[in-house]
Amino acid sequence: MKTFVSLLVAVMMFMPSLSMAASDTLIWGRGGDSVVLDLAQATDGESIKAGIQVFENLVKFGDNSMDVEPQLAESWEISPDGLTWTFHLRKGVKFHDGTDFTAQAVYDSFARIIDKDHPFYGYGKWKYLSLSLKYVSNIEIIDDFTVSLTTEMPYAPLINNLALWLCPILSPKAMAEYKDQIGMHPVGTGPFKFVEWVKDDHITMVRNEDYWGGAPKLKKIVLKSIPETATRLMALQSGTIDIADDLDPDAITLVKKQKDLVVKENASVNVGYIAMNTSKPYLADPRIRQAINHAVDKNILIQTLFQGLAIPAKNPFAPSIWSYNDEIEPYAYDPAKAKELLKEAGFDFGREIELWAMPVSRAYMPDPVKTAELIQAYLSAVGVKVKIVRYDWGTYLSKTSNGEHDLCMLGWLGGNADPDNFLYGLLSADTAQTPGASNVAIWKNAEFTDLVKKAQKTFDKAKRTDLYKKAQVIAHDEAPWVPIAHTKVVRCFHNRVQDVPLRPNGLNSFEMVWKK
Amino acid sequence: MGRWDMLRDLLKNKNTVLGMVIVGCILFLAVFGPVLAPYDPFLPAPLDRLQLPSREHWLGTDSLGRDILTRIIYGSRISVMIGLVAVTISLVPGTVLGLLAGYFGKTLDAVIMRVMDVLLAFPAILMAVFIAAILGPSLVNTMIAVGIVYIPHYARIVRSSVLLLKEQLFVQSVSHMGGSHGRIIFSHILPNALAPIIVYATLGMGTAVLQAAALGFLGLGAQPPQPEWGAMLSEGRQYLQLAPHVAAFPGLAILLLVLGFNVFGDGLRDVLDPTLRT
Repeated sequence: MKTFVSLLVAVMMFMPSLSMAASDTLIWGRGGDSVVLDLAQATDGESIKAGIQVFENLVKFGDNSMDVEPQLAESWEISPDGLTWTFHLRKGVKFHDGTDFTAQAVYDSFARIIDKDHPFYGYGKWKYLSLSLKYVSNIEIIDDFTVSLTTEMPYAPLINNLALWLCPILSPKAMAEYKDQIGMHPVGTGPFKFVEWVKDDHITMVRNEDYWGGAPKLKKIVLKSIPETATRLMALQSGTIDIADDLDPDAITLVKKQKDLVVKENASVNVGYIAMNTSKPYLADPRIRQAINHAVDKNILIQTLFQGLAIPAKNPFAPSIWSYNDEIEPYAYDPAKAKELLKEAGFDFGREIELWAMPVSRAYMPDPVKTAELIQAYLSAVGVKVKIVRYDWGTYLSKTSNGEHDLCMLGWLGGNADPDNFLYGLLSADTAQTPGASNVAIWKNAEFTDLVKKAQKTFDKAKRTDLYKKAQVIAHDEAPWVPIAHTKVVRCFHNRVQDVPLRPNGLNSFEMVWKK
Repeated sequence: MGRWDMLRDLLKNKNTVLGMVIVGCILFLAVFGPVLAPYDPFLPAPLDRLQLPSREHWLGTDSLGRDILTRIIYGSRISVMIGLVAVTISLVPGTVLGLLAGYFGKTLDAVIMRVMDVLLAFPAILMAVFIAAILGPSLVNTMIAVGIVYIPHYARIVRSSVLLLKEQLFVQSVSHMGGSHGRIIFSHILPNALAPIIVYATLGMGTAVLQAAALGFLGLGAQPPQPEWGAMLSEGRQYLQLAPHVAAFPGLAILLLVLGFNVFGDGLRDVLDPTLRT
């Protein structure tokens, strides 16, 4: 009966727009629409999901891992002083508009982001610069198929940054033609060509027959926006869509029960956490922050609200990322000890502190409001009065980056999967400057910051690992966060879809996917 | 007509009795909730989440394992309070404005009623969302928002009564005998204009509860973990397939309360409105 109702509802909803998908067309349901399809400007997962079908970078992450592999660059080397990176480019690659891929395209794609004098500079907003090419001071075309990047200081994470969505290679012809509209007309070298974008409804792409890696198996991909989770779930259950993204843990439990549906899981590189604003005097004492860590039972939280689709976090980044310090002993769930620490630190139990709950669910925090309510109950059990505060997402992000909160929930999908991204990006004193702090604990620890900055300039992986492990010990002892969980990345799809890849950050290009 | 006659008339109408019983029961729950409720409405028990109705939990548990019956009982206090406060917020200024506009007429009337028309031009829920969004999401602001939205309705009703009443002989005579404006308005006009206001306020209770639930559903009303019915309904939406009862029971509660007030209000109107009497 349930299935019948679901089927009926889904059929009624999709009848006018699409009938059952053809066997070489993939219908991919997701929670929201893309914002911009020029990925150098993208800051949201929905844009990236669509854009990486169209674009390629010099290097890429593995299909199911975050190891850096060649893509448009076949090989590269670093100068002995660690400042210059030389890339040897793939030959015979064409953009979707028929132009050839050469070093000039790399130059234009990158120079537009960092060079204010470049003609394309004004055509976009380069918001996540620090994650892409911030430290690159010079780009040089050596010959048609060789290009070099020079950084202002030795900067080891650069290669990971280049694999990130933020460094796509676009057709120079298209950039010149579409100007500031390039975000609506993506032209890359990837396995799929962009066809059409109907805002808040769908994006259509067709296969690139001339793709250098061999034409993809799917003829067409349609990314359909279906904001309501329950509707997306029903559409998957009834088979009107092939893939449903961003289902909540309870919905995934239902998907697992249906025989013709598949749930693929992979360890992720994300982290969901509660940041404690260390600039507030009543949260400044590390013992108070340790106490809050002791007060929360992460195992119960994960077992219930996360439906087991996560591992408890004890460090700022996931164990799947190198240099994870597994020797750190997590703060055990111990309300008695929490109370003791609070008393010892002279915490004012009459004060009500605010816990800001994310208004949207994210992969790292699938049910933020319920999570906040549970944490509120845990804290009230140790005598800390908590008020839950909600804002819309935009306001939430800007207010937290101003340090206006007491406790706030946030997370990081993993960026370039380099420890630097988490430790420097989310916890260093440099990034704790308000407004615009990405270290929303506003935690300014000189020793920690020194360690992670030194690691940026260190190319020897063993030495970097050592530095990061030390930094994690400080972050643990000083406890600016309650690290909550590293959720698994999950992709739910119909079993007629084959060879579905799943990278730890959940973002894949689909050239290998096919349908039975 | 004496008071007892009115009561008798009220009790003759089956619908009115039904309305009174429903509203009475919910008022009873609201007053004695803490004594009656079997569990703590706020304390999560995550391991018992999303349980179907059982002997331990008559209406099942929600996504944090809290007893839904307990939360609905506590939620009745919120809903009844919203109804009362919101109606008061619209009733008092609405009545005063209506009295002033109707009694003094001319420019004052024109100014007041045009402002009311502007407020009325927006759909009620849109206006409420707008006000709640400006004030920020909270229970108090919900009541204010819903209250403001309905001010023009009361102003209009009162004004039209006043326009009729001030031409009546008994009012005219007080006026000619030199009675002050205040005395005329509050001692002679207002008491005679009360009947439609009472009817409208009763019906308005239901509307206010429904509007507040809508705001709660949209996340603009009561904040978690408060057991506001609209918010409970909204969070249950996520579990419609897995545990439909999480949304169904708060929805039913809203339905019952609104139905109760409406049926009761209809009955009151039949009794109080002389033009409908046969």
